[in-house]
Order: sequence, then C-alpha cells, then structure tokens
Amino acid sequence: MPLPKIVSRAAGLAGGAGGKALEQLQHLRLPGVGQSSVTDDPRTAARRWRAVTVLTDPAQLEAARPAPLVAFGERLEVRVTPAPGGRGAELAARFRGPVTEDEIGDLRAALREAKALVEVGEVLRVDPQPHGHRPATPGGAAIEGMAAEAPKQGVL
Amino acid sequence: MRAATWTGVNEVSVETVPDPTILNDHDVIVQVRQTTSCGSDLHLIGGYIPFMRAGDVLGHEFMGEVVEVGKGVRERKVGDRVVVNSFIACGHCWYCSQELYSLCDNGNPDPGITEGLWGQSPGGCFGYSHAVGGFAGSHAEYVRVPYADVGAFVIPEEVSDTRALFGSDAVATGWMGAELAGTKPGDVVAVWGAGGVGQMAARAAMLLGAERVYVIDRLPERLAQVRQHVGAEVIDYMTTDVLAELREVTGGRGPDVCIEAVGMEAHSSGSAGVYDQVKQQLRLQTDRPTALREAILACRKGGSVFVLGVFAAAVDKFPLGALMNKGLTVRGAQVHGQRFMPRILEHMARGELVTEHLATHVMSLEEAPKGYQMFKDKEDGCVRAVFLP
Repeated sequence: MPLPKIVSRAAGLAGGAGGKALEQLQHLRLPGVGQSSVTDDPRTAARRWRAVTVLTDPAQLEAARPAPLVAFGERLEVRVTPAPGGRGAELAARFRGPVTEDEIGDLRAALREAKALVEVGEVLRVDPQPHGHRPATPGGAAIEGMAAEAPKQGVL
Repeated sequence: MRAATWTGVNEVSVETVPDPTILNDHDVIVQVRQTTSCGSDLHLIGGYIPFMRAGDVLGHEFMGEVVEVGKGVRERKVGDRVVVNSFIACGHCWYCSQELYSLCDNGNPDPGITEGLWGQSPGGCFGYSHAVGGFAGSHAEYVRVPYADVGAFVIPEEVSDTRALFGSDAVATGWMGAELAGTKPGDVVAVWGAGGVGQMAARAAMLLGAERVYVIDRLPERLAQVRQHVGAEVIDYMTTDVLAELREVTGGRGPDVCIEAVGMEAHSSGSAGVYDQVKQQLRLQTDRPTALREAILACRKGGSVFVLGVFAAAVDKFPLGALMNKGLTVRGAQVHGQRFMPRILEHMARGELVTEHLATHVMSLEEAPKGYQMFKDKEDGCVRAVFLP
C-alpha cells in the first residue's frame, strides 16, 4: 500500500480513536483528573436525568419545549423545575426506554443547544473557520475526532 | 488572508488561509490592526496543552476595526475601533449575569473535553486550542468575533492602538487578579512574574489603593520596566531570598495579597527547579507550580492568593497544609475581561494605565515565527512581540 494511503487510513482510524478516547476520558477517575457523572452501569446511566440550568422563567420552558428536545418525540421524559437562588430553571430529560451511548450523547448536545437557544437565541457555531494546512496525521485526526465528539460528551 | 498558525510542537508558520465569515447573528468581523504574543501561547506552542491541531490560527489578544456585522448585533457597527476580550462569553447565561464571563456556559462549543478533565467547561477563547472551542485566533488579517456586543469594546479616541491592545488580556487579567483577590487601600501586594500580566496586576493593585506593591522576577529589563512604568518595587529572585525579603518589608507579616502571574512553566533555580522539570517531562505532573508554592508560603495569615497564570491539570508538592492552617483564601480564573474593560479604558484614557512599553518588539505578521522565538527565549529583552497584519 502506498505510504500516503497508509497515513490517510491511520489518520481515519485515529479520528475515530480520538472520539473514543474522549468518551473514555469521561469515565476516567485518576486523583485530581476526571469528574464524570456517567460512571454508572449502562442501565442506570440510561435512566439518569441529564440536566442543564437555563437562566429563564421556568414557565417559558413549560409552555414551549425547546426544539432540540422536541425532536426526540415521546422517547424522552422532560422535567422543568425552578432553580434555587434566581438561577432560572432546571431543564432535565431522560429516555423512557433502553438507549445507546450515542443516543445519550445526542441528548447531551440537545440539552446544550436548548439552553443556548433559550438564553441567547442561537447556538454558537465554530465551523467553517480559517485554518492553515492540516496534514493527515494520526495525532491531528485524533484531535479532530475529539473536537467532533466534544458537543456530545461531558458530564451531563 | 495571511495568518500565523501552529504547525507542530515549537513550530509557528505564516500561511495563506481562508477569510473568516459571519457564522452567527451576533458575530462581527474585525480587521486586526495589532495582535500580540502572550506567555500563555507558549504553553500551546510547546505542546503542554495537547489540544492543538496543525493549522490552527494562534492569537487571543488583539484590537482592530469592525468591517462587517451580523444581523443580531446592536451595539457595534462597521468602522468602530475596538479592543476584544480574549474570552468569548454570551452575556446571557447565569455566569455572565454574575460577571464571571470566562465561565460562560454558551461560549465553548466543545465542552466535552474540559468537562472530562475538570468537571465543568469554561467559556471559549480565541486561538487557544480545541479544549476551549477551537476558535481561529487573531494573528491574522481578519478575525471573527462571536457575541460582539458583549466582548468588543469601542476604544476612546485618547487611547492609542497599542495601549488598547493590552486591554484585551494582559490588563484585564491583571486587574481581575488584584480586584478579585480583594486588594484594598493600605494593603501590601506581591506579584510573581514581571511579564505583561504581572506588571498590569501590580499597576491595578496600586490603582485599587495598595500602599506597597512588590513584583518578583529575574529578568533585569522586566524589573526595570516595573520600576519605570508601573512604579512598584522589585525583587530579583536570583539574588534575593524572596520569602525572607517579603517578611522583612512587611514587618514579619507577609503580603496581604499574593498574585501569581507565572503559570505552568515557571522557571526556578536549584534542586526544586530540577525536581519540577523532571516530573513534568516524565508527565508525573503536568504543571510546574514554583511561583504558586512560594506565593502560598509568603502570604500573611488570613491573606489572599490569586492564581492568574495558566495551569492545565495536576501539580506536585502543593502546600495545602500552609493554605489551610494559615486560613488563606485562594482563588483563580481565566479572564473575566468584559467585567473590567469599561473601567480599564477610562484609566487608559486618563493616562493612569499605560501599556505601550510592553510592546518591546513590533513587527509584521510575516515575522511571527521569529517574534515567538524571541519572546520564548526572552531575546533582546523581549517582553511582548506585537504583530501588525
């Protein structure tokens, strides 16, 4: 196999590995590093409420469920409660039935988007944006994989 | 357009890249007039923050002219001469409502990376890796500025481009450290690091009423700048025992406020320096906290320590016992610049905050690789390399 093709294939694998590595980072518990809230077993994790606090009147969220959550249809339970200390509303959601890790990732992203839409009116974008030459290296692909996966990962 | 990019560990290049475009309604495009290197860039360039992708545009401290506005922008207009805060904040979330702008919930589109490391994500930052959003930086002819009504400030006529430039980060960060550490009239304040941020922290402490301010460093040209332009006293840690000196000049108490403006690549001499270097290179600690340790040990009982230098993860030999038993308050933050910028620009306009001396080396953007090398090596007394796109 020609060298460029090998590098390209390795980069592709690394991209997937980058996203996977970020997923694993969420489960990492070393002293001082790693704060994930998703170390539950898959069954418990699937049933855990995932929540964001939105600086808005809870009644607004009760009246109109944000579009990113509506897209899940009846598969989601949604809960809105007042947040203490004038912080607005706690918007929480969980799946009614069994789910995959990818689906939980989709829910994390949807909750963040819902919060941004209510608070700011739009979801901040970052691509496309200026950048220089990006050689197809495994390390670079791993970073791109992480960045692509990052909206769906985290402690939610 | 031309832009300075990170192309690998300790490699900076200047390349032709696509122009930025408006992506969100609250964006503006700024034509960059001046953009400066920052000590925290060296952590990125050296690979200490391993979330850079080759080709990423560097730079987070800049000023320029608005040349295009998104349809949701209300306060800024084409032609405005603006200085832009380095952290990107929405202005609408609870953290922004508390003026904790660098903690904005909506400013970082890639929160999974930092949430995995730290449990929560800070806001986004220009040109500072995919850990804080992956936004293109300001070492370019043009830069896209999200949430422009919140983060871009019109520069008063009396303030020069170069003076305003450092309001973007160095002054705002320094001011934040002095103010949020609780500096009040009559205090003695010590600042570790005589770079741009340390100098501005010292100046801010003086403007907030501190009676005496000491700045600690080893580089003669930087200490000379502190004496001449800031008006604070200096301690050369290569020739002076810092803890003994601070005890002596404070009647045995120690400073009321200690501000660390050095960060994860702190220089130190002797066995402690070797120890930290070895542990960092072996990845047994990610950061070298030499100045922070000293600040905690120097601080008076019940005093306040503020961490302005950038740290990434874990440090070794952290003096937790001193912190606890002396009843210290320790606080840190990335810059909440939007909170302080109006006051900073007023002080600049009145001539009470001057920064032009920090721009020791002004050069074209094409010379950015050379500028960063000089800045890293502190060659020719380089305090900041400023680039003119």
